[in-house]
Amino acid sequence: MGKAVKIALAGEGGQGVQSVAQIIAEAANEEGREVLYIPNFGVEQRGGVSVAFLQIGTDPIGSPKFQKADIVVALSDRAVIRTRQYVDEKTTFVYDTSIEGVEEELPKNAGRILGIPAIEISKNELNPRVFNIIIMGAVIKATEVVSEDDARAALEKKLGYKFEQNPELRELNFKALARGMELVEKAR
Amino acid sequence: MAEKPIQGEKRVFMTGNEVVAWAALAAKAEIMYGYPITPQNEIMHYWTRLAPKFGKRFLQTEDELSAGFTTLGGVLAGRKAFTATAGPGNTLMQEPMSMAEMMRIPSVVIIQQRGGPSTATVIYSQQEVTMTTYGGNGEGLRVVYSTANHQELFDYTIKAFNTAWKYRFPTFVLGDGYQAKMRESLTIYDPEEKGLEFVPTETFLGKAPVNGVKQPVHLRNTYNTEEELYEVITRYMEEYLKVAPEIIEHREFSCEDADIVVVSHGVVSRAAKVAVQELREEGLKIGYFRPVTLRPFPAEELKKVAARAKTLLLVESAFGQMAKLVKDAIFGSTVALENLFKPGVGITSEEIVVRVKEIEKGALAK
Repeated sequence: MGKAVKIALAGEGGQGVQSVAQIIAEAANEEGREVLYIPNFGVEQRGGVSVAFLQIGTDPIGSPKFQKADIVVALSDRAVIRTRQYVDEKTTFVYDTSIEGVEEELPKNAGRILGIPAIEISKNELNPRVFNIIIMGAVIKATEVVSEDDARAALEKKLGYKFEQNPELRELNFKALARGMELVEKAR
Repeated sequence: MAEKPIQGEKRVFMTGNEVVAWAALAAKAEIMYGYPITPQNEIMHYWTRLAPKFGKRFLQTEDELSAGFTTLGGVLAGRKAFTATAGPGNTLMQEPMSMAEMMRIPSVVIIQQRGGPSTATVIYSQQEVTMTTYGGNGEGLRVVYSTANHQELFDYTIKAFNTAWKYRFPTFVLGDGYQAKMRESLTIYDPEEKGLEFVPTETFLGKAPVNGVKQPVHLRNTYNTEEELYEVITRYMEEYLKVAPEIIEHREFSCEDADIVVVSHGVVSRAAKVAVQELREEGLKIGYFRPVTLRPFPAEELKKVAARAKTLLLVESAFGQMAKLVKDAIFGSTVALENLFKPGVGITSEEIVVRVKEIEKGALAK
């Protein structure tokens, strides 16, 4: 029985972790995989750390949340602290290198820690708007649960109406996806 | 507008709340009455988006007491009506649903459990089992289906309408915040295309005269004497117990030779299933038992399992609410009972595996 890949994505509200998780979930579902995605939610309306729990496998998924993740992606200092609980020696922990002074907080028990400069690249090289798509690229490369083609198709499905109005957006998003994959490749 | 909401079969990927709205449409529900409360809000959000396209209606009331009573009013007027709620809203819903029990008004209520008591969390629990099964000031004359995945949420929401109208007991679909908010795939379909026949609704009040004579309809929730009430309740209980075997549903596997049987319901049974499959692969004699109907409870079915097993491990996201139903059902059995109670939080297969191994180890040490 193949175990599902367990992914926890965490960031500040507005960093788009939930939409990234949802697009990946839909892409994997389109591939015919068993997928379960659930956001954390509470009574806070603003200012909380947002966590997305995503599981992708070949057999029906068990419980919606999990104790330890195969991949954790944390995009802010608070997200790093919040998601340490999902880490064990098998976990690949991905964080953004522009988070200041976070080195001390990184989970020392992680199987592997990958720092990627996604925030920096989105600002200097691409566009801050596609930051979460870089993260999406990083996640699909780190987990290898969805192919780049299917990820592109999922983006097309989700953002196609915007791409129609402005074809440059398509290029920008696809470039961000590829760049995110590259970052993980290099960090390995 | 008269087109069917669902043509043929369709594989979809959506949240549980959206699933419920589609299922109510598929079941030909005509109106939803409701009051917002997390985590079930999106049922009414999706319903209000979808329903007008098919000539269906929605009324937001001032609270859950009113949502429950207006649902019953809609049913009395001959409409296929339903409502949905959670947590403290479920507490208020018990008053109108008690009236439904007393007056035998068919009604469908979807519950997405959240943490309790009181406001607690808006997220998840299995702490509304006692209230949903026996919450009214009466004998629990109702049906409760506990679902575990989106396919079941769709199937049992449709089924609930038929159960309610066939037997005239209020019928609950008991989900939870996880099922409400998570996304997974399922197949939605038109039930009639699959050969399912809907039990017709009827107008209880304001019926047309027969041969020019108006027939009085007498639905009571008030009785003058103890004896009068006793007679009615005795008759209702007899009817309930008679139809219970037709309504009862459960799932089990690997129980034939099992030493330990994991008993769980709802979303927790997903983790239990994975745990039992893994432990079986390791060669341990473990079984799986899951009541789908919590009321009426599959007592005879569980008794048979308890007679063969050494231990039942009761697992739930509450502090023993399902366990009470189990103990009542298997009274007289000498099977050992162990538990994994985690009120208000989710339970993973890993935790169940650890607990089973602890019990195994303890048994060996003896």
